[in-house]
Amino acid sequence: MVRRAALADVLGGAAAFAVLAAVPLLIGGKAAPDFVIRCAAYGLFATSLNLLVGYGGMISFGHGMFFGLGAYAFGLLMQRTALSIPAAFALTILIAAAVATVIGAICVRLKEIYFAFVTLAFQMLIHSLIISWVGLTGGDQGLRGGIPRPVFLGVDLANRIQLYLACGAALVIGLVLMHRIVASQFGYTLRMTRDNAERAGYLGVDVVRVRLIAFVLAAVFACVGGVVMSLFVSGAYPDFADWTVSGDGMFINMLGGINVFLGPMLGTVILLLLNDTVTRLTEHDGIVLGVVILFFAIGLRKGLLDFVLDRIAERRATAVASPERG
Amino acid sequence: MATTSRSAIGRRAALAALGAGATALAAPRIVRAQDKVVRIGMPTILSGRVAQLGNSSRNAVLMEVERINAAGGLAGRRIEMVIRDSKGQPQEAARIARELINTEGCDLLLDGEASSGGFAVNEVARDLGVLCVHTNSETSSLTADPKLRLPNAFRVCRQGVHDSIVGGSYAAGVAKAKGLKRWATCAPDYAYGRDTTAQYVEYLKHFMPDVEIITQAWPKLFQPDYTENITKLLQAKPQALYTCLWAGDLTAFVDQASIYALLSQMELFAVNMADYTTLTAVKHLPPGIHSGNRYIKTFPKTPQNAAWADAYRARYKEYPTTWSWQNSAAMHFFEAAAKRANSVDGKKLAEVLPGLTVEVPFGTDGTITMRGEDHTIINYAIGWGTTIPTEPYVPDMHPGDWKQIVELEAEWKKANHYT
Repeated sequence: MVRRAALADVLGGAAAFAVLAAVPLLIGGKAAPDFVIRCAAYGLFATSLNLLVGYGGMISFGHGMFFGLGAYAFGLLMQRTALSIPAAFALTILIAAAVATVIGAICVRLKEIYFAFVTLAFQMLIHSLIISWVGLTGGDQGLRGGIPRPVFLGVDLANRIQLYLACGAALVIGLVLMHRIVASQFGYTLRMTRDNAERAGYLGVDVVRVRLIAFVLAAVFACVGGVVMSLFVSGAYPDFADWTVSGDGMFINMLGGINVFLGPMLGTVILLLLNDTVTRLTEHDGIVLGVVILFFAIGLRKGLLDFVLDRIAERRATAVASPERG
Repeated sequence: MATTSRSAIGRRAALAALGAGATALAAPRIVRAQDKVVRIGMPTILSGRVAQLGNSSRNAVLMEVERINAAGGLAGRRIEMVIRDSKGQPQEAARIARELINTEGCDLLLDGEASSGGFAVNEVARDLGVLCVHTNSETSSLTADPKLRLPNAFRVCRQGVHDSIVGGSYAAGVAKAKGLKRWATCAPDYAYGRDTTAQYVEYLKHFMPDVEIITQAWPKLFQPDYTENITKLLQAKPQALYTCLWAGDLTAFVDQASIYALLSQMELFAVNMADYTTLTAVKHLPPGIHSGNRYIKTFPKTPQNAAWADAYRARYKEYPTTWSWQNSAAMHFFEAAAKRANSVDGKKLAEVLPGLTVEVPFGTDGTITMRGEDHTIINYAIGWGTTIPTEPYVPDMHPGDWKQIVELEAEWKKANHYT
């Protein structure tokens, strides 16, 4: 059963990648690949945030720190060492995991609002560190001079199509892995700690350990999102680690929905489409985005995908119940 | 009948064609300008705390575009600007810059971003190979550092190191005359504040080695209350204070410092004071503040500069800013380069821009030159003076010596391993 589900995920991922790979051929121009690369960065980040918020019940206001950490660690490794891209990528993930373990060990013991604000405090700390450590990070000017992209295994990320395919692959692999995590025993244990941590504890679950693992895994995928963004802009900037990125992650989850795995991905597409179209039309895009968020928060009271699936479920229930009533 | 009719129409058509042909021959540039356009993409900051400066950049550009188009356009092509708001976010600046080229079909980039946004757009220019003119990024390394400098990117903007050299030279002159040896600094606590202060102090000490920095205050960027910094400065009792606070932060600091009578106890050197947006925002502008010029219509004191500022003010009901003159000058460089290259092709423009001198109201002698070796401008109006509470606000600006600026800048580049 588990193997079949895993196979379905892999096949679904392969199909999704095939569709992504066809995008540049089907849609002319360079805008669509750029859009997909940004979707990959924010989609990985927002879905990883949903591991915490939706599946773990841990509302993190500071998840953006790992997005920024990924961008900076990868950028610095590529600029200052002779590492290949895969080696720098792997080392970036290790760095993010190590930092997340330390921060998570403190945060996951806290409940609700305390967890939220301590994660925010750590984000502010990392952001301040980036701003202050000018010699390493470039301070508020960011990492300048571009990120070198030496060819590895015949892959040239300086080529825009190859970069697009690599980012698409990172997105699909990331989503498949995260879906396997939430569908695994660990994923269900995580949900149990979300719904009733005390009961999970009585059943022998090490709640802190489960939450810490979820925190580290979410950090790793957020960091991959940061790597993708750093490749897109060929640099890293303090804004990547600012609280506004965490805010964007929250907005995306609110827009797309947190109860369905692909909700944050849909939310990412909505937010970026809104941003890209609204900023073309007006400089007061914040007002428009605010109204949209209010519509989702007060009007639908849930994300779009949650809303749609709930309505479908309601209709099915009505259809089943109707003959009995008749 | 039918034949006559056809013949009459044919004559009219022939006459019309002849007329059109004659018009085209008589004014080919105008016809081409109407038919063809050159699209210039401009990412800048149009929302948030820096929106006023971004808007003043856009205003200046649109004023120049109208003038250039009325004169026949760039190499016969009418300019069409596509201006977008980056919200001051570098990732948005990069996205917009890419979109302007890839989707909007822009031929050239006019980068109206500041700070990190400018570096993000520079990387897009590196990636796409498009001609890019930076207009608002003052960080010297953008063009000084050979790792950052691009053959297809130019900067039409004042530079931090130039301001520091002129500021240090002017301050040393005042300090020698008044015996100001005990100095303090107060700057926003981020890279710009720290770098600019360090560089200013370096050149102050270069010109007057016995100066001593007795205290330094580092308020946060956009800090609303400066009480703790002001009391710290008052307790240290320096003879002079240098600050590179800017815009709303500087006006808030000056207003609050006035309450504590700080300005009567020390000489204030505020590099970013002499810009109309700041000068007019201070409730009671104290006399005698030493400031570098950002943009003042009386410096250089020429009819052309005053006329340009007045035209801007008549059109937009406010005075231009330092970002305005830089963007206006950038359009002059586009115009002159297109004329020399007789083309709007980015590569051809990049070939003629190095070493190009344009006549603009903002040059020390009415001209500004694009230095060939590092693609940045020199000879723009740069100086220091003291404020008075009413217009012209800084009546007597002491111009910097460009020979001295260039010499010391070369030493600075060498010390930073840029040459």
